[in-house]
Amino acid sequence: MRRIYESEALHRDDEEQFTPNQRRSETPFQAMPSVNTTALSRRLLPNWLRNRAVSVSVSTPREEFPLGTTIPFRVTMANALPVPVTFRTRSPILWTWDIDGETKATRTQIREPPDEPGEFRFERGERKRFKRRWKQLFRVSASEWTPAEPGEYTIGAGLNVDNAVQRGLYDQTTVRVSDA
Amino acid sequence: MALLEVEDLTVEFYTQEGVVTAVDGLSYSIERGEMFGVVGESGAGKSVTALSLMRLIERPGRITSGEIRFKDQNILEMTESGVRSIRGSEIAMVFQDAQTALNPVYTVGEQISEAIRHHLDYDDHAAKERAIQLLDTVNIPDAESRYSDYPHEFSGGMQQRAVIAMALSCDPELLICDEPTTALDVTIEAQILAEIEELAEEFDTAVQLITHDLGVIAEICDRVMVMYAGKPVEKAPVEELYYDPKHPYTVGLMSSIPRVGDNRDRLQTIPGTMPDLVELPPGCSFHPRCPFAEESCSRTEPSLTNVETGQADHGDHLAACLEYTGGLTGELDYEVVVEQTDAVEKPNQLGDDQNV
Repeated sequence: MRRIYESEALHRDDEEQFTPNQRRSETPFQAMPSVNTTALSRRLLPNWLRNRAVSVSVSTPREEFPLGTTIPFRVTMANALPVPVTFRTRSPILWTWDIDGETKATRTQIREPPDEPGEFRFERGERKRFKRRWKQLFRVSASEWTPAEPGEYTIGAGLNVDNAVQRGLYDQTTVRVSDA
Repeated sequence: MALLEVEDLTVEFYTQEGVVTAVDGLSYSIERGEMFGVVGESGAGKSVTALSLMRLIERPGRITSGEIRFKDQNILEMTESGVRSIRGSEIAMVFQDAQTALNPVYTVGEQISEAIRHHLDYDDHAAKERAIQLLDTVNIPDAESRYSDYPHEFSGGMQQRAVIAMALSCDPELLICDEPTTALDVTIEAQILAEIEELAEEFDTAVQLITHDLGVIAEICDRVMVMYAGKPVEKAPVEELYYDPKHPYTVGLMSSIPRVGDNRDRLQTIPGTMPDLVELPPGCSFHPRCPFAEESCSRTEPSLTNVETGQADHGDHLAACLEYTGGLTGELDYEVVVEQTDAVEKPNQLGDDQNV
């Protein structure tokens, strides 16, 4: 099929200011053909480098909260490498948070995630920030929640991969819930 | 046996932000020839429910549990070709934005004929004849010459009518209308609704009408389901829902309908916004916005129960509020005032007012 740029419809002139230049067959490519950098990085980057490249941190605005208040926390994940990094996760759930090891402050299994892996992609140098809130309640059944007692609680967050703690893809912080 | 039975349907979207539970444990049924309304704010899960019925949920969405039985066949267990044979012929959908739903590089007539040829095995000439007849049925003037027009040559109302004609082309048993009049002005809206009602009656088609307009529901539906944050909060026959709403969210929706002659300075609204579906509040999802909420509302998630007996999911009028299972210490203190005006025939124009 004849393309528009193959036609002679345009008036071309190298001298005139407001007309397109003459076409030159030796004109180099203007852009690199697109490269699937995700696939490349998955094949080329060794696991140890991927684990070291991505950091996870959990932070709260302060360390102590009155009983019954909402505890906001922020999860930050950063890729330090100038290339994309992709992690294969255990399920389509890419990352999770927990309170004292109880995922999403839930003490019961509500729903099983699909039995298939997911992919968590970080662009080059990307920093992801997620905000979550814990209302000092634990879910104990599909329809019941129970309040947390005063004391210390650990808020953790990490990628949903095998051995996230050992691989440095998990972080936690401690907060104190006081009765006063 | 109902024409469509949806049981415990759950649809989740796995995003980077977290798991979005767009529809959570939804159950309902539609009888043959019934007009069933689904109402709720944007993001309540109305459209995702409709797309699930035709198995049109795309990644990262998944139907994670439940059953959708159409004529006693579970759509979720059918093969892809099995579902394709149902889509368009037995279950048809009128999409919200007709301009996007129509293919701009095919003529409107060809797009209608294609469905007829595919599902009903008509030859080219017969399919064209039927398409013209359908365009005429939905009141497209000069249907024969407009058959070969492209979508951009139709006005918004005509495009919507063409999409309705396409949906009706194979005499479906269930017509899903996903906000069919949202993009149209009110005069065209009234015409389109009247057409859907008339055509549904003529072809004895069941209609699932999705809208956020309570007036539209009152006008044409038999039964209504009110959705909030992916869950059903009230199910009732249309008149009961208007004259005797049982869930505080429904009451809030009713009170936010502006009325002609109302001398209040400001329109009434439901304070706050729909919660983030990634991070639903514990307990009843509506409790942060509910004027009657108590501590128990943040500890217990109410299930749909019969408002008279408090029994789970049986009966005509169901609501998901702890009030009906004895979980509240106070009462839902609101009042529905029905003004006996000349608008007796139309419940949507009555003064559904309450002191919230």
